[in-house]
Amino acid sequence: MNPPPDHSAHREFSTLLRGEAEALRGWLQGGDAQRLARELAVILVGAGCYGAAMGWWRSPEQALFVAIKFPLIILLITLGNALLNAMLAPLLGLDLSLRQSLRAVLMSFTISAAILGAFSPLVAFLIWNAPPLTTGTSHSVAYALIKLTHVVVIAFAGIVGNGRLLRLLVGLAGGNRQVAWRVLFAWLAVNLFLGSQLCWVLRPFIGTPFLPVQFIRPDIALQGNFYENIFQTVVQLFRD
Amino acid sequence: MNENMPIPPQIPLPGSAQQFAARQAEPVPPPPPFPGQRPLGEDPAERVPINGIFGVVEAVLRQPRRVMYQLRQPGAGGLIAGMLFASVVCGLVYGLIIGSFSGHEQWWAAPLKFTGGLLVAMLICLPSLYIFAGLSGSTARLGEIFGLVAGLLLLMTVLLIGFAPVAWLFSQSTDSILWMGFLHLLFWLVATAFGLRFLDAGFRQTNARSTAGLKTWTVIFVLVVLQMSTALRPLLGRADTFLPAEKKFFLSHWGNCMESNEGEARSHR
Repeated sequence: MNPPPDHSAHREFSTLLRGEAEALRGWLQGGDAQRLARELAVILVGAGCYGAAMGWWRSPEQALFVAIKFPLIILLITLGNALLNAMLAPLLGLDLSLRQSLRAVLMSFTISAAILGAFSPLVAFLIWNAPPLTTGTSHSVAYALIKLTHVVVIAFAGIVGNGRLLRLLVGLAGGNRQVAWRVLFAWLAVNLFLGSQLCWVLRPFIGTPFLPVQFIRPDIALQGNFYENIFQTVVQLFRD
Repeated sequence: MNENMPIPPQIPLPGSAQQFAARQAEPVPPPPPFPGQRPLGEDPAERVPINGIFGVVEAVLRQPRRVMYQLRQPGAGGLIAGMLFASVVCGLVYGLIIGSFSGHEQWWAAPLKFTGGLLVAMLICLPSLYIFAGLSGSTARLGEIFGLVAGLLLLMTVLLIGFAPVAWLFSQSTDSILWMGFLHLLFWLVATAFGLRFLDAGFRQTNARSTAGLKTWTVIFVLVVLQMSTALRPLLGRADTFLPAEKKFFLSHWGNCMESNEGEARSHR
């Protein structure tokens, strides 16, 4: 009698979370479509649930929009930088093909998305307990607490995902930690660079109480960029 | 009787024959890293199935390792359902004691809020525990983690039943909401500490390499339950509505309670 197949999905998910470099290295070699589909499903569901929890404070419509935008950003970063990541790896001493580097980055995002998904009920609970998002709330302790929670959860998910990726890269580099760190930093740099701009274009996430709920702000989406804004803020700080 | 029980054969991992063979080639997870850890099922008494609600309660109190072992066996769903059922019953009973302080609609509202709140808090925190377990290197399935959390809930509510006579006596002899709140909080913290000890012991049996994730989760769980008590207020005292109209964080609610209690005390003087 064949036992139910869900055990294998659990086992693979567990292997991914534990970051078992040996097994994950094997995954990079094979082109298992089912496994890829499962990873994509984790990203869609995990990041989607977290996005929904984040946008829910503003309105249910905003929750739906952010539930779509969050996984979309992850997938756009993965695909947008696929070629660059695949070129950087061999240049920095790690011989990886385009498919292998793409899968490695996708695996790390899958772990991060799973963590985000697991924290989404907690974030939703926090938001349920917060006062409604109004103009006054945006300067309150509740707003600061929710923002801080998002930063901590997303940072934790990112650190763990990249920590597992590093372990995999060390294995792929034959134990050479220097090469693995170099590749990880290069990938992180380009992913953060693209990711922050994507977030800028696809804003709002939490939403502003006095502005309408929109998927993106068409009038300002493509105006300026994330880094320009930071630069202007720094300049303003020094001027004041 | 237990000594004669044969050791059950190792349960093969499910999957097709090819998948099974492929899994055999995969690296074997390291043994539990915690020194002095006896493997579950080593003692034949741990392999005796747990039957009935009273059996479940007795096992979680006296033989926690037996519960942990049984949670890994096929058909553990019945055991988990039993633990949840017993937790609900114990929670409702303790909720009645909480409600007895104010009477009236709190006779039904307090048990409902207390039990429902604990169950919802458990469900909210379950996914993060599963992820923390995985990140810690644990090989436990979601069902086993769910079972361990159900065990935590059962142990917590059973211990609260033990505190119930004391809580009832105090609730009949004082009018201070603040004092009763403090007393229930104290009992809940003691009960939770024992429940978490059970969870920790179970967690260490799942091949987890560290308990840092569990410790983080413990903080999250305690915060969620404390916030739940504020979100579902009043559990003590009366109100016009079943749920509060105003959203508050628990620390701010506690601060307000203390201020109003000080005001009351001053007016009595």
